[in-house]
Amino acid sequence: MTLFDLVIRSMRKNIKHYYLYFFALIFSVVLYFVFATLQHDPAVVQQSGGTMGTAFKVAGILLLFIAGTFVVYANAIFLKRRSREIGLYQLIGLTKGAVARLLILENTLLSAGAMAIGIGAGMIVSRLFLLLLMKLVGFDGFIELTFSKTAVLQTIIVFIAIILLTSLQMLVAVRRTTLLGLFNAEKQGEHPKKPKAVRSAFLALLGIGLIAFGYWLSGRMMNVFLFINMLVVLATTITGTYLLFRVTISWLFYQLRKRKQGHLGLNGSLSIATLMHRMKGNANSLTIITVLSAMTLAMLAGSYSLYYSTERETRSIYPHDFMFGGYGDAQEEKETKQFTEELDRQGISYLYTPIEVMNLDGQFFEEATMTKWLPQMFSVNLVNEKQLQQAGIDIEIPDGRTAYFYDASVYWLMKTTEVPFSVKLTNPEKELDVSITKVKEGNILNPPFAGTQLVVDDEFYQEIKEQFINEEEAHRMGTFFSVMISDKDQQAEASEIYQDFTKENDRLNFHYYGQYVSTMQYTGLLIFIAGFLGLVFLISTGSILYFKQMTEADQEKRSYATLRQLGFTVQDIMRGIVRKQVFVFGVPLVIGLLHSIFAIKAASFLFMSDITVPASIAMAIYVLIYLIFALLTVGYYRKTVKAAL
Amino acid sequence: MEQNTVLHAQNVRKSFGTRGNVQEVLRGIDLRVLKGEFVGIMGPSGAGKTTLLNVLATIDRTTEGSILIGNADISRMKDRELSAFRRDKLGFIFQDYNLLDTLTVKENILLPVSLGKMHKRVAEDHFKSIADILGIKELANKYPHEISGGQKQRTSAARALINKPSLVFADEPTGALDSKSASSLLGTLEDVNKQRGVTIMMVTHDPVASSYCSRVVFLKDGKIYSELYRGDKTRQAFFQEILKVQGVLGGDSVDTL
Repeated sequence: MTLFDLVIRSMRKNIKHYYLYFFALIFSVVLYFVFATLQHDPAVVQQSGGTMGTAFKVAGILLLFIAGTFVVYANAIFLKRRSREIGLYQLIGLTKGAVARLLILENTLLSAGAMAIGIGAGMIVSRLFLLLLMKLVGFDGFIELTFSKTAVLQTIIVFIAIILLTSLQMLVAVRRTTLLGLFNAEKQGEHPKKPKAVRSAFLALLGIGLIAFGYWLSGRMMNVFLFINMLVVLATTITGTYLLFRVTISWLFYQLRKRKQGHLGLNGSLSIATLMHRMKGNANSLTIITVLSAMTLAMLAGSYSLYYSTERETRSIYPHDFMFGGYGDAQEEKETKQFTEELDRQGISYLYTPIEVMNLDGQFFEEATMTKWLPQMFSVNLVNEKQLQQAGIDIEIPDGRTAYFYDASVYWLMKTTEVPFSVKLTNPEKELDVSITKVKEGNILNPPFAGTQLVVDDEFYQEIKEQFINEEEAHRMGTFFSVMISDKDQQAEASEIYQDFTKENDRLNFHYYGQYVSTMQYTGLLIFIAGFLGLVFLISTGSILYFKQMTEADQEKRSYATLRQLGFTVQDIMRGIVRKQVFVFGVPLVIGLLHSIFAIKAASFLFMSDITVPASIAMAIYVLIYLIFALLTVGYYRKTVKAAL
Repeated sequence: MEQNTVLHAQNVRKSFGTRGNVQEVLRGIDLRVLKGEFVGIMGPSGAGKTTLLNVLATIDRTTEGSILIGNADISRMKDRELSAFRRDKLGFIFQDYNLLDTLTVKENILLPVSLGKMHKRVAEDHFKSIADILGIKELANKYPHEISGGQKQRTSAARALINKPSLVFADEPTGALDSKSASSLLGTLEDVNKQRGVTIMMVTHDPVASSYCSRVVFLKDGKIYSELYRGDKTRQAFFQEILKVQGVLGGDSVDTL
């Protein structure tokens, strides 16, 4: 029998251990290939002017990093699992070199197979992904996917590098082991030691304390030390998480077990006892999985929230579809006419409303306002609520003699300000204190004119106008022309007309739809990349937990046999095992979720709208996929327990 | 059925393999074990000792025949009932101890009563008295890897006795022990048998071990070959008798090999 025959036989025999690894490998190849294809795809490059290509390149490197780590880690687990087999080969007289060759050949065949299948599948699905991407970024033209040789080559090179890396790993593993050690490797496992009372208790509580402190600080980061705060939050939560897995949980288990005084029960024996036994070895991987889960979740929830709220956020910054205008001269009115006439020609119906705006100087003077952050003096655009209603904007009307405050650019700072507060309106001669009863989200006029806007009711507006505006101050009055497109489907068409128009007249190009499309592109790309990286990450961590549990199940097979001989049914034993799995999968997930919730909360100033819904959806999907791995694991245990007797 | 019969096997047969390649390991065994007996089962390799033990201990099923333990016909029970039966009525001692590495001595011993039918205080009392008899009270909080083989087997024995079983099965309990630990363990088992009236059935190939029994059953080719009762004989004399029978048996098996 040649070495090759041996390889084929051992692969056929081990296929049940391999299939998940094989799928994970294929999956990595597919995703990497898709990313590489999109990176080089002319349509993508053209559509985004190169930025998308760069984004995919960066994501590809990140993906590579995740996939590489995963493959090396999984490989290490498999090497340990197969140590007896490797020992047996050596016992019957194969040299270490031959064993290494055998393993490397096997690994190469497996990886090459995964690569071939992965690239093949990648070619089929990359079109699907391209369509998905284009849908996400809001592009709906005809898409043709070109076959990219560069992508194939790039994928092959990358995965050959990974194969070399794992081969090296096997070589080192075979060289470094002794025959005796190989036979015992599967039995190795640490034995729980009695924790040193004071030190453990201190570290255990410190772990919880650090996490709590990190959470607490994450809600209070907004000051001059923002950057340092962020680092401190990261450091404390990560250290806290490590201590939690390394010390706190073992310590709690130890206390719990001590209190049982030997009456641990079957469930405890199968969950607490085995977990304690392996906690030391698992602390590192559980910490990494938890921290990375938190990061992935935060990234996913964040980018999904951005994507989800794009329309709302853009609308709140650009309440009017188009807006022309200025102070003093009447030039803009003519231009607006040109634009609307063009709209008429194209058969696009619209609502045209001139809005009068009074520009005054404003001043914060109360303690509670954000005078620490914002300049005390600012320019105010006073707007009459009545005209806004006419322009088709649905707004809340402030009570008489009070005003609502609008300014999208400082909303994130202002939204925590206590209302009511007062601002002073001035011109060189007069001044008037106006009570602000609400800080509203977004703008009421389009950028770039918006600035700080105060909305008042009609009566109050006329009163202020009478008080402040005389002939000298007439330059403070301006008119903005709002154009709202009646039919949503004609937005794109109108937008094109507008862009041509601004180019011709050499005007700034600011309008709702244009902003919406470009934000959509950016957030769509973000969610695409975050989603796929998240998926890869999820599948790798899920698989690693699965592999680890698979190994543990095999190691504990003898215990299950004993338990069944002692008269415990499969169901009795599974109850204990399920408890253990709830812990193994649940704790990293729950802590990861908690971390990410606080991370998103800390970053929520980036969002104007409420992101509870999109963040919850992203997290729910994550949990669901995780659950599948937990179920697979429990299934493997059930099989092991059933076969034990 | 007599009041003091603990186990009654009638015409027990067991075959392995599929059609065309059937190997009959047990070929019609009739055996009656009375309460308080310490029965040893001996025989050459391949005689069916372990198969018989597995079948009697409800771990494996018979192909034919009936087995009554107490008044229960275990050959008619479903798997789930068998599990419950094993847990409540039987005790096991294995050659390689089969202790759970992750549990302390005490936790291992209390495992069979862990599904909660026994009150915690009662279980604690049982544990104390059994650990006392077996001399492992001091080891309660140690893990299996911290104690010797003899101590492990005592732990295993304690686990077998914790639920006051009507019958204890021991499969080569001294197989992995040095002679001193072995005789010490067997002496303890004998004490437990005599003082507490626990019925024990032990499979062994060691004539020294079986000389502690009150009766030794010899198997050969799946059938009962002969039986020896110790009666009032000394252990030494009983040992000599066992050796004689084993010589006859062993000689045959060498010839047939």
